[in-house]
Amino acid sequence: MAENGEERLIAMARHIAQKLGHNESMADDILQIFSNFDGRFTRENLNLPDKFGPDDPRALAALDHTLKSLERQISQYVGAGHPIWSDSADSSAFLDAVDDLIAVVRQCSSMSAVAAKNIGACAEELLQQAMFRLEEEFGVLMVRGCESTDNLSFDSEDDEEESGGNGDNGEITVAQPLTDYNVIIDALPSGVISDLHEMVKRMVDAGFVKECSHVYSSCRRDFLEESISRLGLQKLSNEEVQRMAWPDLEDEIVKWIKASNVALRILFPSERRLCDRVFMGFYTAADLSFMEVTRGSTVQILNFADAVAIGSRSPERLFKVMDLFETLRDLMPEFESNFCDQYCLVLRNEAIAIWKRLGEAIRGIFMELENLIRRDPAKSPVPGGGVHPITRYVMNYLRAACRSRETLEQVFEESSNVVPAKDCSSSALCVRMEWIMQLLETNLELKSKVYGDPSLCCVFMMNNCKYIVQKVKDSELGLLLGDDWIRKHSGKIKNFMSSYQRITWNKVLGVLRIDISNGPPHLNNVGNSTPMKERMHMFNMSLEEIHRTQSEWTIFDEQLKKEVKMSLSKLLLPLYVNFLSKFQNSPEVRKNANKYIKYSLEDVDVRINELFQGGSGSSSGGGK
Amino acid sequence: MPATADYQGSAAAAFGRSLLSLRREQVHAMGETHEPSSLDLELEAFQKQVSDRFTDLSVVGLQELLSLPWIRKLLDAFLCCQEEFRLIILNNRSLVYRQPLDRMVHDFFERSVKALDVCNAIRDGIEQIREWMKLLDIVLCALDNQRFLGEGQFRRAKKALVDLSISMLDERESTTGMAHRNRSFGRQNPSSRDQHQRSLGHFRSFSWSVSRSWSAAKQLQAIGNNLVAPRASDIVASNGIAAAVYTMSSILLFVMWALVAAIPCQDRGLHVHFSIPRNFPWAAPILSLHDKILEESRKRDRRNASGLLREIHLMDKSTRLMGELTDTTHFPLTEEKEREVRQSAQELRLICEGIKEGLDPLERQVREAFHRIVHSRTEGLVSLGRANHND
Repeated sequence: MAENGEERLIAMARHIAQKLGHNESMADDILQIFSNFDGRFTRENLNLPDKFGPDDPRALAALDHTLKSLERQISQYVGAGHPIWSDSADSSAFLDAVDDLIAVVRQCSSMSAVAAKNIGACAEELLQQAMFRLEEEFGVLMVRGCESTDNLSFDSEDDEEESGGNGDNGEITVAQPLTDYNVIIDALPSGVISDLHEMVKRMVDAGFVKECSHVYSSCRRDFLEESISRLGLQKLSNEEVQRMAWPDLEDEIVKWIKASNVALRILFPSERRLCDRVFMGFYTAADLSFMEVTRGSTVQILNFADAVAIGSRSPERLFKVMDLFETLRDLMPEFESNFCDQYCLVLRNEAIAIWKRLGEAIRGIFMELENLIRRDPAKSPVPGGGVHPITRYVMNYLRAACRSRETLEQVFEESSNVVPAKDCSSSALCVRMEWIMQLLETNLELKSKVYGDPSLCCVFMMNNCKYIVQKVKDSELGLLLGDDWIRKHSGKIKNFMSSYQRITWNKVLGVLRIDISNGPPHLNNVGNSTPMKERMHMFNMSLEEIHRTQSEWTIFDEQLKKEVKMSLSKLLLPLYVNFLSKFQNSPEVRKNANKYIKYSLEDVDVRINELFQGGSGSSSGGGK
Repeated sequence: MPATADYQGSAAAAFGRSLLSLRREQVHAMGETHEPSSLDLELEAFQKQVSDRFTDLSVVGLQELLSLPWIRKLLDAFLCCQEEFRLIILNNRSLVYRQPLDRMVHDFFERSVKALDVCNAIRDGIEQIREWMKLLDIVLCALDNQRFLGEGQFRRAKKALVDLSISMLDERESTTGMAHRNRSFGRQNPSSRDQHQRSLGHFRSFSWSVSRSWSAAKQLQAIGNNLVAPRASDIVASNGIAAAVYTMSSILLFVMWALVAAIPCQDRGLHVHFSIPRNFPWAAPILSLHDKILEESRKRDRRNASGLLREIHLMDKSTRLMGELTDTTHFPLTEEKEREVRQSAQELRLICEGIKEGLDPLERQVREAFHRIVHSRTEGLVSLGRANHND
């Protein structure tokens, strides 16, 4: 009985609190007074909800009533055969109903009465139905949205649909070939985005964020994959890339560069923005959904670059691999900004690893180039001692490579511990280039040995050195190797030139040189005692022989050719003049001098001028 | 069981030793030094490492075989062997460059490039399992909570389970290489059927990073193509390294095969012929594992599985049970029924947690295997100084 009395007392207190407490602060005040008055009147004991007592039949009746009316409204929408979001009045009424329903569910779960549980079960059941429908509507809206921007295309030169996208503010501008990547597209019309956001809010509230995120990512992922495939990017396995013929692979690389730029600079940021707007306020869901949307495409993009990086290191691939390297390098800030959250961290690291691997590939290609130079066989000599194809190949290759000097500096700096720098002023790249040039020279020296004639050997070296210096001088390569290097090598050309003169001409000069002072004979000179007639004969024979062989030889550079001839003329003609006068005055011949003189001064000059007319050298105009 | 394995192990080791000593005897016969060289020791250590690791792996109960921890142990073994093999190649460059070893090492690198695609496919497969986990999260969200279980929760769980089974079916289609789903990316073709399907909420839940025609089965065959044990003369001519190359190639093939067996990937097929001469000390454990895995794949309830991974099997069983429970229920729930549902939900949660915990490290390992293969190949090709001369 006493217990019963206490219950009634508490019920009375509760009743009073509810009656008087028209608002929360008032109710609180009253509660405070009660609990100060008697410890039994604590908030827990009274257990007051906002308005009614938890088990107040009226509270339950009200809830039941609300639920019934919500049920009528919602089931009408849930059963609708057309999309609810085709009518904005419908959609907002539906959302309001869902809001009320969520409130009912919450209220029920805070109540302990069995009746409340039953109402709660019904409410949850209804909520479930509403959420299924909402999920479906969400999906429909996403797909619709995509469709409206479906004919949006990037860089489609072959695409005549200039206009299309009926979404909002000017996505159509993107339909031109892309030069400016500084565009973010609205993947969905903003009306749709805000509708989606409203849906997301309800689904999150009702605890359906996983479903929501699932539908969202599946749909956007499909869209993104289609966009990427429209950019011409194929899904290629490693092996397919390895097997692909180089020209085809080159095409793929070009497409890849374009596609990954569009993906990282336009598509992904647009997805990011869309994600952030649709899931505004729900950061985890936004990040997670974004990762799921972009992961597949990113892996596809990175896998291709990776496959190229581990592929063949044949030197012809350098330039395209460098393009890949540069593209990825320049996209690094985009990788950083697109994939800045924890879920995408893996993708970002992957991108960095593959970028590094492309650098490794470039170094590998240079190593392969070095191997090729070192091993290039010295089999067939270039006729006439002209520029060897390997010199042309290597020099033009390096010149072209050094157009991207900064990239190469970067690539070689990465591994500068491999090649010890001679002094700290020269970069790793510089050291590398010097090394390659040295390999080339060594190989050329080896090749020069193939010529039996040591003079021709010199001409060959002179030509190739000249070619090298020329190619170095007016390019980035010159800046890289420096003036000292150029001076040193210009000196080498001079040395080869004087060696040539010595080997070919010293004997001839010796024949002509008659020591007037009757002093000790010149080292290489024919003995002074040799009779004049014999000297003349020897000279004529030598000149003829030299003319016969060496007019077939080549000096590819006109300037150098002129220099060589001029210096020969300067050397030979004065001596010949001198010799002729001696000859004519010599007692041996005197009267018959003209019989022995075969070549006039002019004739000798002509012979000298007719040297080095041979070879396939395109620069030697018409001597044949 | 352990006794048999021990016996196998030691017997095989004895055979193996005889194989390795083959070369030494030849050397002896030629009257050279009687001390084993450091290379001999290195090679012997390698064989021992391989045989120890795989013997250890083969001593396994059916509950463990093809489980996530076992797969990770397998990859561990692979990574260690690969590392040791790399050093052997690196330390013996002069030998590697010569006939007949150059060809063999080159072949090995070719095989390893092919393995890279398997690694990528496995990574996709891991992602696929993650997708399934997300659907199961929804099931758990509905059924494994403190609140009461009503019809609404059951429907929600049911829907996620249906999505899961569609996803697994989809995946199975692709894993068996049947029915390439008709999804063209042509701009002219947002086909109405496709659109309709989408609007029903059935998005394709996953995409592979390789083309639809890629096949794990074919890739495995390519890795195993012409893989035969070296002749005794080649072993001698290569100072024994040929045996190590063969060993590593076989391990590569086996590990890739086991991964394909366990993890979902496109066109899984396990018809790869393993013929390893029994005199290699690691032959017995690998062949026994091969048999066990093959046997597993032939079991009736695994035949159509999307992967033999133990955890997938558990997940499959658990979700099937869950499906039945959610099918045949009348509301309100009887107490017994509710207990039953809650209990199986809890079991499913445990399985899912196990999978989630295991997948991240597994993915890292697969990636690591990928990087190591690339690294050792690059290094090998550079030291051979003949990177792709035949291109």
